[in-house]
Amino acid sequence: MIRYLNIFLFEFKHFRKSKTKVISYLVFILACAFSLFNGFELQKKHLNTIDNIQINEDESISEIITWYENGEKGPKDRSWIDVTNPYWSIRYSSTYMIKEPSKLLPLGIGQSEQYGYYQKLSIWSSPFDSDIAEEITNYERLINGNIDFSFLILFLLPLLLIILTFNINGLEKDLKFNNLISIQVGGSKKWIFYRLLFYTFLVTTTINCMIFSVAFINNVFNQELLHLILLSNLYILIFIVPFYFIIKSSDGSTSIAFKMISLWLLLCVLIPGTAHQYANFKYPVNYMTDFLDANRKETYDVFKYSKEELNTRLLEIYPNLNSTYHARDTSVNRTVVRNTMSAIVNKLNTNAIGKIEQQNNLKNNLIVSTYWYNPVSYFQNKWNAITCSDYHAYSKFRNDIQRKIDDRLELLVFECWDNKTVDLKKYNSYLKTLRQSN
Amino acid sequence: MKEIIINEWVGYFINKLFVFLGVFFIFFLSLVTFLGIIQNDKIQNEQKLAHEHIRAQWDGMEASNPHSAAHYGTYAFKPISVLNSIDEGISSVTGNVLRLEGHRQNDIVFSEASQSLIISKFGKLNPSLIFQFIIPLLLIFFSFNTYISERQTGRLKLMLVQGASLRKIIFSKVLSIWFIGLLLLLLTLFIQIIFNSDNINSDVIIRLSVLFLSYAFYYFILINITILLSVIFKSSTAALSLTVLTWVFWTIFFPTIMGNTTEKLSPLPTRIEFKEAMSEDRSKGIDGHNPRGERRDALEKATLERYNVDKLEDLPINFSGIVMQEDEEYGNMVWDKHFGNLYIQLEKQKNNYQLSGFINPFAALQNLSMGSAGSDMYHHLDFLNKSESYRRVFIKTLNDEYAFGGSKTGERGWKASNEFFRSVKDFNYELPTFLSFYTKYLIDIIILLFWVFFTSILVYFFTRKITV
Repeated sequence: MIRYLNIFLFEFKHFRKSKTKVISYLVFILACAFSLFNGFELQKKHLNTIDNIQINEDESISEIITWYENGEKGPKDRSWIDVTNPYWSIRYSSTYMIKEPSKLLPLGIGQSEQYGYYQKLSIWSSPFDSDIAEEITNYERLINGNIDFSFLILFLLPLLLIILTFNINGLEKDLKFNNLISIQVGGSKKWIFYRLLFYTFLVTTTINCMIFSVAFINNVFNQELLHLILLSNLYILIFIVPFYFIIKSSDGSTSIAFKMISLWLLLCVLIPGTAHQYANFKYPVNYMTDFLDANRKETYDVFKYSKEELNTRLLEIYPNLNSTYHARDTSVNRTVVRNTMSAIVNKLNTNAIGKIEQQNNLKNNLIVSTYWYNPVSYFQNKWNAITCSDYHAYSKFRNDIQRKIDDRLELLVFECWDNKTVDLKKYNSYLKTLRQSN
Repeated sequence: MKEIIINEWVGYFINKLFVFLGVFFIFFLSLVTFLGIIQNDKIQNEQKLAHEHIRAQWDGMEASNPHSAAHYGTYAFKPISVLNSIDEGISSVTGNVLRLEGHRQNDIVFSEASQSLIISKFGKLNPSLIFQFIIPLLLIFFSFNTYISERQTGRLKLMLVQGASLRKIIFSKVLSIWFIGLLLLLLTLFIQIIFNSDNINSDVIIRLSVLFLSYAFYYFILINITILLSVIFKSSTAALSLTVLTWVFWTIFFPTIMGNTTEKLSPLPTRIEFKEAMSEDRSKGIDGHNPRGERRDALEKATLERYNVDKLEDLPINFSGIVMQEDEEYGNMVWDKHFGNLYIQLEKQKNNYQLSGFINPFAALQNLSMGSAGSDMYHHLDFLNKSESYRRVFIKTLNDEYAFGGSKTGERGWKASNEFFRSVKDFNYELPTFLSFYTKYLIDIIILLFWVFFTSILVYFFTRKITV
């Protein structure tokens, strides 16, 4: 056992004396530190934007509350607005839906730059509106990727491992004293194993320390953190195990380097690239014509409906409307049905969005089915899921937005159809439905 | 020199590994290029169908108020270029659909990348992925040992005794490996031309030529560096490690570092800051002291004077249409100011990234590859600008019809005929020719030439000093 401990310790000396390895390792550490700094910056930027959004929302809501308190009906230069009417009260109360960044975001920004993380809701909103577009960004920077911690772990760490390990047993074979090693150590398998173990230990410890530093700064010690640590350690093994066999079976350091780089290319570039091409071949980019039709043509068709048609459609969507004040009336009130027709448009949008999400899910299922031969994509998406920056996290956000829109419209329709009058107390009860924080 | 190159190639054909790799790459590249073309055609077809679908809705519109039609608007679908199958550049991360309507300029939305989980960080398996990641490594592996093995086996001395100079031997080796890269490049271009013959025109030929030359130069630089390192270090391991390390830095590390740095040097506003600044300018006036009410009054006065009447009702035209158009013109000014600044920032970032080519020739290659394929940011911005120009013409046509098409002020229910809507010109985006954009890529071309010259000088210099 001591013999193997000596191999382990000797490898540390070898590492310390190899300038290329030490410099590569330090560059990697610096890159990790820089990536974490970038991650924190992005998180801070998101949080600052969210703070500003909340201040804006508070200000506009306070303005409306002031109107109620002062007995005013709306802005002085817009005499037609009457916030005692549920339609104007709700229409004027635009609120935001926000996706708070995960506390683990500095460890992996994932797909977060591909999506918006806030949306201003009105009675005409939909989670696929253009105002929920991603942040303004340089697209060319986006394709090159960010100096993101997960990128470093998933794509650069294997390259660091190659630099650290390619001459294990290779140098000895190049200099033709590998047989001497076998005699001295009693077989090369364990000798290779313990030398590799040193680098596995070095890299794993480094990565875990980095992850813990973020956990410490953001005060997040939960199951997700544990998953992330397990995932990163497992990922290192995904490369270390084949590297062991490559080192054991190759003729020299050149051959080892060639095979290791080929493995990296295969796992990180070629297989994901092929899966990507295949998925796109089967499910090409969606121009969302279903949604565009619902959002434009079908919406404009709704605008042309007669008051009776609008009335019928609204009753189909909300059967409980039958018991409201307006429904009990024998004549259809044009203003009431027109003020609430956005609920019909929302229904059209929801149906179209359902189809889009279904198509996206088909593509996602295909991607998931490639995981057994495409491990890097698996790790990447798992990592992003933990840092709440994957497709599903944003899909959930879209669902939350849709739910809030549905709530808003249901409130609008029922309050308008019940011919309610809004005072401050009622308005405060509205805010519980309209605002995200309530 | 010719004899050495021929001799090298004969050597390659004797080497089983080379023959295997050669056949594999020829097959692989052909397949990837061919599938890329099919994939491209499929996307182009989807885009065309979406475009036709939306236009058919417009053409089928019944008699309506032109201002309602401006709100109804239309959509611009971002097309992909013919050479997108070689290098898709930023196509997968940019939006694809842009709504063009009155009063507001929307963001382009629905990017491919936002429609699914992430699959590949380095993009799809298309020729550019192979040209940028795989072939360079293949060339490195062919070149790192070529000089050292000759030296170790004593063949180098033999060739020198036979009268060949060391410089000639080294450059012959560089060229013979370079020709492998060229062959694979030519194969891809050949397949592209054969299977895309319907779309080949002079612009595509120019683009393909630039693409070919960019990769050719880059491969030359890479081979020069690999052989230079093997000449300097005289050890295949050291040469290989250093070249692979250089490749990693150039291809993986520097692009991300430089991307982040350029963004920090020329920061972009957040979306909410940008929107708020625009909406403030839109409501207060571009110079901050020209409110909309005053502008409307001034316009009303000027219109009444022009038609020599006292009241809006007496005008022979519909004043609402004029107001709508004036509002649009004002909105356009605001757009020009804000988006102009934003595009300047983006171009600054791009220029800084281009300059990083002096330490990383891969940046220059990447820019030229995307640029010649028509899938870089310049082409994207061109699409956005042309879409906006179309939007302006489109909305002006509708507003003019509202104002001068036969209605009078106050006739809100007035409708334009279906014939009028059908006569409104459709948006058909044409990819700009490469020659109209070439100045934007001059710096990249200069950088690659600089590297070719610089590495050649280094090889020349070191082969003079080296002792065998």
